[in-house]
Amino acid sequence: MRNAGYSMEKIKKQRENIMNHESDIMNQKKVGAAMVVGGGIGGMQAALDLAESGIKVYLVETKPCIGGVMSQLDKTFPTNDCAMCTMAPRLVEIGRHKDIEIITLADVEDIEGQPGNFTVTLKKRPRYVDEEKCTGCALCVNNCPVRNIIYTEPEKEELKLSDEDLQRVRVIINNYKNKKGTLVPVLQDISSQYRYLPAEVLRYVADELGYPLSQVYRLATFYNAFSLEPRGKYLISICLGTACHVKGGPSIVEALGRELGIKPGETTEDMNFTLETVRCIGCCGLSPVMKINEDLYGKVTQKKVPGIINEYRTKT
Amino acid sequence: MNNQNIQPINEQTGKHYRMHLMLCAGTGCVSNKSFKIKEVLEKELKKQNLQDEVLVVMTGCNGFCALGPVMVVKPDGFFYQQLQEDDIPHLVEEHFLKGRPVKKLMYTPPEEKEPIPKMMEIGFFARQRLIALKNRGLIDPENIDEYIARDGYKALAKVLTKMAPLEVIEEVKKSGLRGRGGAGFPTGLKWELCRKAKPKSKKQNTKYIICNADEGDPGAFMDRSIIESDPHGVLEGMIIGAYAIGANNGYIYIRAEYPLAMERLELAIKQAEDYGLLGENIFDTGFNFDIKIQKGAGAFVCGEETSLMASIEGRPPEPRQRPPFPAQSGLWGMPTNINNVETWATVPSIINRGAEWFASIGTEKSKGTKVFSLVGKINNTGLVEVPMGTTLREIIYDIGGGIPDGKEFKAVQTGGPSGGCIPKEMLDLPIDYERLAEVGSIMGSGGMIVLDEDSCMVDIAKYFLQFTNDESCGKCNSCREGSEALLEILDKISNGKGEEGDIEFLEELGQAIKDASLCGLGQTLPNPVLSTLRHFRDEYEQHIKHKKCPAGVCKALVQYFVDEEKCTGCMLCAKNCPQDAITGKRKEPHTIDQDKCIKCNMCYEVCKFNAIQRK
Repeated sequence: MRNAGYSMEKIKKQRENIMNHESDIMNQKKVGAAMVVGGGIGGMQAALDLAESGIKVYLVETKPCIGGVMSQLDKTFPTNDCAMCTMAPRLVEIGRHKDIEIITLADVEDIEGQPGNFTVTLKKRPRYVDEEKCTGCALCVNNCPVRNIIYTEPEKEELKLSDEDLQRVRVIINNYKNKKGTLVPVLQDISSQYRYLPAEVLRYVADELGYPLSQVYRLATFYNAFSLEPRGKYLISICLGTACHVKGGPSIVEALGRELGIKPGETTEDMNFTLETVRCIGCCGLSPVMKINEDLYGKVTQKKVPGIINEYRTKT
Repeated sequence: MNNQNIQPINEQTGKHYRMHLMLCAGTGCVSNKSFKIKEVLEKELKKQNLQDEVLVVMTGCNGFCALGPVMVVKPDGFFYQQLQEDDIPHLVEEHFLKGRPVKKLMYTPPEEKEPIPKMMEIGFFARQRLIALKNRGLIDPENIDEYIARDGYKALAKVLTKMAPLEVIEEVKKSGLRGRGGAGFPTGLKWELCRKAKPKSKKQNTKYIICNADEGDPGAFMDRSIIESDPHGVLEGMIIGAYAIGANNGYIYIRAEYPLAMERLELAIKQAEDYGLLGENIFDTGFNFDIKIQKGAGAFVCGEETSLMASIEGRPPEPRQRPPFPAQSGLWGMPTNINNVETWATVPSIINRGAEWFASIGTEKSKGTKVFSLVGKINNTGLVEVPMGTTLREIIYDIGGGIPDGKEFKAVQTGGPSGGCIPKEMLDLPIDYERLAEVGSIMGSGGMIVLDEDSCMVDIAKYFLQFTNDESCGKCNSCREGSEALLEILDKISNGKGEEGDIEFLEELGQAIKDASLCGLGQTLPNPVLSTLRHFRDEYEQHIKHKKCPAGVCKALVQYFVDEEKCTGCMLCAKNCPQDAITGKRKEPHTIDQDKCIKCNMCYEVCKFNAIQRK
């Protein structure tokens, strides 16, 4: 889910590369100018630090202005400092510093040479404005017809809920109308009725309760109890609490997987069984434990699994 | 606690019964069909015409979950265990009609022959001291009258009619009670901070009380058990706290995985409301307090107080920076006090019996008792309550009855995913908040998972990392990516691809995550790795240098063999092998085809002669 897209190997290699290069760099002649690529808060601070230590700095930015993402933030983590209060003094200082040259709307084309002595080729994109004459009065901005399009509400998508569904959801929502903090309980009630959260229903709930769909989606995916996929008739939850783990819970998961031909989180094709793992249901005295709908099975062994599943198969 | 002291009078009917059968209806026993046992019992009693002499009472969790369903016969205190439907007719006729206790159904400690007839003679019960669990197995949790008969709501009456709010806080402070949720913050001080907190504005001047029943630690079920066996105790504690703090609204945030506990709480709240113990103008003192139940939806991080409040408000449950602490700005921006179930359940006893009494139990800095869930590789799994300062050895051997199957004790894991492993060299460690922290673990909510020689410490560390990695809300970089990176290395080690330097890297990274994370989850997630590294470094080295898993758990490093001397050729393993990887003739030693073997452990489990070896 949260794959960072890096590998420890890569980081280790980079570390080594830097170590090896450092000694080479020390021996070479350095040129008294530096280039900072990227004018976000990091680049700005780097440019300022370099300029303060007497080096000429070229600050290159691809956007029309420096400031980056931080300028769009209200507060920053983890100190809750006001982002603009951190940035504004630096913006002013960079603008005024005689050793910093800002080059915006530019991209790096090529870098040649060694660390310490190199040449960079930049490509500047046109501004279509005579920079010499422009005073920055903002008159053109305010009168630009493209920028000033009137905002119109996007057309609402038509709900595809059947009358029966509508009835069911309305009953749930009415139970919670005009109360505080109702979104999670509403989702729980829907989940217990449908056994999952159908997309159309979520859309309707967001509309009715006045929450952005994004928030509804976020909560629906944050909690383990919710599923956006339909679940089978029998929901098998295998406990993987610590006690169950040390007493062979994982091998029960595998045994069930072999028996049903599915992995945790999946549903059999006939929609009879869904396999899920759960972190401790508090029956550690009977570990390893599994639950099929509301029935609890304690001290499960791999050998017992086929028998238990067959019991339910014959029921269907 | 004197268990013989129960009045054999039924509260509802006023009838006198000769005998009360306290049948456990905790989740563990219910799953072992204790309700069915009740049905059969009542039918049999009727058949013998005893229905007016013997009463079956469904109690909360008795604590000895390993033996479910269990039943205690009052007033004599006979203890019957592992009851089956077929045993009942014989039991009713022999014991309840003819007065001859049935030995066959009594508890026999492992490696002993003579059964122990009475509950209080069994080591598991005799060595416990019950405060938070004082009513377990003694009352019907669904009947408020039985709670009241055991001095229930007496503390509340005392507080509301005879004590000022500040006196209550002073009493709790003097008792030395510390938060039982794990961090051990002094409860009285917490209440005082919330009491003194200024309201948000003149119009918005409510305060909130929250009971944290989002027991997320895997391997801990004391909160569930307390609620299932004595829900009114928790409510009474909350009402007392609300009075002391000046709050008028309460919430109980409970896990969705605990349906029975939730049902009993709902019932308890309704009963308390009907009796005027909750609601408006309690005991005619003008004090108002109501409690709502909020159901969780399966997110571990919701046990953290700020994220719990976010969850109640319907926001994404991510922790936030403190300060402001909940005591200043909590639920909906109002001053809020959050305590754990066990803390609330302890409060009435402190008020009833006095702060001095409570402070006399335990160690210098940790007072009173603590409930532990004793699980894993141990004979007597279940819930135990012992005074602070009890040693691990007493808990594991005297109460827990030692390790099953003659295996060797290896370590005990406390504190859930935030805790650590304590090795056997430290068995004589007295348990309190400080001592556990000294050895690199924490008290946590009180899960105690016993590990034997068959448990691999790298696997345990990996297990907890998988857990925290899954449950990390993703807000802090250090926790989100750090857990991922730790897990990657542990995965490598357990797959036999560990290298020199991995251990040092784990330590460095672990420390960085500790320093840089915002909430408790991130700050403590490296603990399982760091503590196993501290006490079981050689086991990591075995994995890395010799590519061996001494416990035989890490699949990539283990192969299954048949011990030809022990194998009797019974064919059991061959019949059960899902891969048909075992071949051999009847009464001749079998062999395992290593190419086909998927290391599912099935043969190891089914073999009755210990003839399967993991190397």
